Amino acid sequence: MSDFLIHVSAVACLYGILALALNLQMGLSGLVNFGLIALFGCGTYGAAFAHLWGWPPLAGLALGLVFAALLGLFFARLGDRMSEDYWGIATLSLAEIMRLVFTNEQGLAGGAQGVSGLPVTFAALPADTAALARLALYAALLVVAFVICQRIARSGFGLSLKLMREEPQLARALGYDLARSRRIVMVVSSLMAAVSGFLYAHYLTFVGPEQLMSHETFLIWSMVIIGGIANNWGVVAGAILMQFALAYVPFVKDWFDVPSDFVAATRLIIVGGGILAFLIWRPKGIFPERIGGSHV
Amino acid sequence: MSEALLELNGLSKAFGAHQVLDGVSARIRPGEIVGLLGPNGSGKSTLLNAISGFLPPDAGRVTIAGTDITARPAHVVTRAGLARTFQLPNMPTRMTTREVLRAGDVAAGAPRHMLRRTGRDDRIDALLEMFRLAHVADLPASSLSGGQKKLLSVALALRGSPRLLCLDEPTAGVHPELRTEMVRILKQAAGEGTTLLVIEHDMLFIRQLCSRCIVLDRGHLIADCAPDELEHNGAVVEAYLGKAVQKGKTAR
Repeated sequence: MSDFLIHVSAVACLYGILALALNLQMGLSGLVNFGLIALFGCGTYGAAFAHLWGWPPLAGLALGLVFAALLGLFFARLGDRMSEDYWGIATLSLAEIMRLVFTNEQGLAGGAQGVSGLPVTFAALPADTAALARLALYAALLVVAFVICQRIARSGFGLSLKLMREEPQLARALGYDLARSRRIVMVVSSLMAAVSGFLYAHYLTFVGPEQLMSHETFLIWSMVIIGGIANNWGVVAGAILMQFALAYVPFVKDWFDVPSDFVAATRLIIVGGGILAFLIWRPKGIFPERIGGSHV
Repeated sequence: MSEALLELNGLSKAFGAHQVLDGVSARIRPGEIVGLLGPNGSGKSTLLNAISGFLPPDAGRVTIAGTDITARPAHVVTRAGLARTFQLPNMPTRMTTREVLRAGDVAAGAPRHMLRRTGRDDRIDALLEMFRLAHVADLPASSLSGGQKKLLSVALALRGSPRLLCLDEPTAGVHPELRTEMVRILKQAAGEGTTLLVIEHDMLFIRQLCSRCIVLDRGHLIADCAPDELEHNGAVVEAYLGKAVQKGKTAR
């Protein structure tokens, strides 16, 4: 397996975890979160702070998980006071505020320069073995995240989330505490996003505010929309598909001998155009949610 | 008089300058089946929303079996023993009829059931048969006809054996044959200890089901009597038909 394929597969696994987190929020529960990248950022900056303060990496994971749980709870709390569409705008705004703070506060994790030199995961192993070990770890965690999401989707709690997504008034009349359900979903998915962020930080060995750009959130949205909203199999497939599609753009540039600007522009077109095309022609994605719950 | 299951004291609600409920007070005893009547816009659904926690009243007090539930969230009111249906029973597009019933079952069950995997349930099958919904059990709930949605919402409301069941026009759009069946089911629920408060325009249904009626008009409670007394009640007749025109005067 080439280094390139291992690299793309490893990143696809981390994005797969993020896509599952977004699917838990948006697909299953109807929580339209445009600020998912902030929860991912809790994981990356947890790793960065631990590195800056001389803490062991696992302490950075714990820090990232605490940040993410608190931010997830704050997002959920906002949801108690806002309608769905305003909540989506608020989450986008909060993620942008977080990015701007980390960009402009020089004393806070290096400001715009970010933090570099984080230890890479499995650094003690030979390079080839370490790359495969990382891929195996990320794939295993993707499987764990998938199993958690499937378990939730097929449980009674999952049914209550679907009802909250579609008919919140009916859910309340049946006795469901929607604020509590929202809190649980936000915390579980925030922890998943933070784990992904922590691993990403120790994969790239660098953490910076440009990793929190809003287009990253929309990349994850494209994975969910293209793969199949509310279908866990679908969103993992969407993450792998999108990651490989984006990774091969530079090769297309070389084949057609076009300028380097083409790469960034084409990636944006793939994400934006993909979202638009699927919303118009195949809004349920490649693998639609199967009504009846035999798989979600 | 025995202790009331549901007690309303001076319940008021206004939307801007429009006073929809104005000091409504009533007592409903355990086991009663009470019709809540009134012309369109009289405040019936608003009263139901105020009781069930969907709309906090501006003033007044609501108690269930002595527990104050005034302005408590809907899920808290539900857990206090109140179940309700809606005038327009919207149902999910991406859940089957069976799943919706299962969601109702989970809500009525213990929290530890929440993480159990859902599956077929004989009790749900029996409920589907009872409400003649078995043939649409695995269709999206939103694809049901208006009448079938009404039946499904009544079935849902009965899942947790509520102490008080509030129904908002349960027979609208329901086949006449099924109305008779619904009367039987609701009387059976009442026999098993559920108290009913029913908003309904179908007087035949009210006469078949209810032992007592309360009537609202423009936010005021204007009558509290047996169904057979309604047509002799001047205030009720006036609310529905308007004031009689005296001889010699020309209606304009």
